[in-house]
Amino acid sequence: MLILSVESSCDETAVALVADGRKVLADEIFSQVALHEIYGGVVPEIAARSHLEVITYLADRALDKAGISRRDIDAVACTYAPGLIGAVLVGVNFAKSAALALGVPLIPVHHIRGHIAANYLAFPDLEPPFLCLAISGGNTMLVHVRDYTDMAVLGRTRDDAAGECFDKSARVLGLGYPGGKPIDDLSKQGSDRAYDLPRPAVHGDNPYDMSFSGLKTAVVNLVHHAEQTGEPLDKAGLAASLCRAVSESLVGRTMDAAAALGCERVAVAGGVAANSRIRADFEAACAKAGKRLFVPPLRLCGDNAAMIGAQGYYELLAGHTAGSDLNAYATKAL
Amino acid sequence: MLMLALESSAKACSAALFEDENMLALSIQTSGLTHSRTLLPMAEDMLRNTDKKPEDLGLVAVSRGPGSFTGLRIGLAEAKGLCWALEIPAVGVSTLEAMAYGGPVLDGQMLCCCMDARRGQVYNALFTVEDGKPVRLTEDRAISLPELEKELIASQEPWILLGDGAQLCYNTLDRDKIALFMAPEPLRVQNARGVGLAAMDREPVSANDLLPVYLRLSQAERQRLEKLQNT
Repeated sequence: MLILSVESSCDETAVALVADGRKVLADEIFSQVALHEIYGGVVPEIAARSHLEVITYLADRALDKAGISRRDIDAVACTYAPGLIGAVLVGVNFAKSAALALGVPLIPVHHIRGHIAANYLAFPDLEPPFLCLAISGGNTMLVHVRDYTDMAVLGRTRDDAAGECFDKSARVLGLGYPGGKPIDDLSKQGSDRAYDLPRPAVHGDNPYDMSFSGLKTAVVNLVHHAEQTGEPLDKAGLAASLCRAVSESLVGRTMDAAAALGCERVAVAGGVAANSRIRADFEAACAKAGKRLFVPPLRLCGDNAAMIGAQGYYELLAGHTAGSDLNAYATKAL
Repeated sequence: MLMLALESSAKACSAALFEDENMLALSIQTSGLTHSRTLLPMAEDMLRNTDKKPEDLGLVAVSRGPGSFTGLRIGLAEAKGLCWALEIPAVGVSTLEAMAYGGPVLDGQMLCCCMDARRGQVYNALFTVEDGKPVRLTEDRAISLPELEKELIASQEPWILLGDGAQLCYNTLDRDKIALFMAPEPLRVQNARGVGLAAMDREPVSANDLLPVYLRLSQAERQRLEKLQNT
């Protein structure tokens, strides 16, 4: 079962070819980071324009790399939600007309389900059930993956995503966009005890819900205060303290949930999973609790289409296909 | 050769199917539902109802702009998907030209095609008609209403107004100095029939080279340039 998959929900245009949900034959990505850098963040209209310009080039290259012809494609999968609506629309409309023309099924895939499925590509023996923390620039949620297409959201951020907290912090520290990598790099030169940052407290009855806006504001205020008073700012220490604060909120809740549900396998997914502090803390916590940890390699953490092809395969097996009236959505429940 | 034409640059969306010069079917929807939901099913139904299959298509024509940025991208992404999968060429047609081809093409008429571009401007192009076909007098442009008014007065011709900006022009431009006529309602706005007719006079390109013509930068780019110019 060979699936052509398309991802265009934010600032990466991607097309992949994946066999049986597990084997990547081609994984083409065009990153728009250079287009958005000067604006300090993703500009939705610029993102949508760029997706449309490059999408067929990527599809051509995917066929070339895989050494297959269009007629070998058994189904077309695409991210249909959530994301920047103008951006998602490009991939959805390309994918659905390609599926119609090829006479094959069309499979809508939820972007976060795709991130979770990146683990199937990295770890051939991983099967549900497992617990997965999905963390990216736009989403932060703790998911009980009961089966390939049967998932329960245990908790989520009440406000900003963890990645948003890194991006905004990087911006005020003058580290550019996107912020995850420069914060991570800088944090290695500082002490994670340099600043006492708030641990996001969440009120309510769900112990797995998270919050990152208070932490983000604390970093912004610290930087502005230092600028105004002329006090020296330990940027590396602040970056390290921030990574520690984010990691502690994420890792603690995830391990609590794993214990409560009796999950022996813990997975992490999404762009923020590339953060080395979060990876290290999860390794230590899982080793201590005797759980097996799954974290995809860096290339599969960020947005890509291979993960959409992986999840698309299982959605197809479950009969989750769509017609040519498929629409794109900015938000959608997992 | 079988050609599918798609139009999704404004509020209405439409699809048309042509066998060589003959239009086999035309479907227009003004439901207000997103084109992303309605356009491809219209094309799919049209193929089925005419006993054709997607693989029978030899060409896809589509409005390439100006128009709603999102609307244009829906039509163009669908055209690209079809052309890429079927390995067939595409023709991107100016929305304003499609409007003229679908309009009252009586020889000697002067056609003023206008789309409301907001911010005091219209997307506009001027055409005359020769041998039953529109002949372009200007490029597509975003133009302010006073500038357009100046040009039309200078021409000393009577003009037929087309497009969703026709009413705006009729109400705003100085009708004491220009003879203005509204095109009859069914011929006034662009649809896929006009896209198909205009495409027949154009060279096809590959799916890769099928690109929109927005005539306008994104708001972020515009504001950045303004800021740079002011410093």
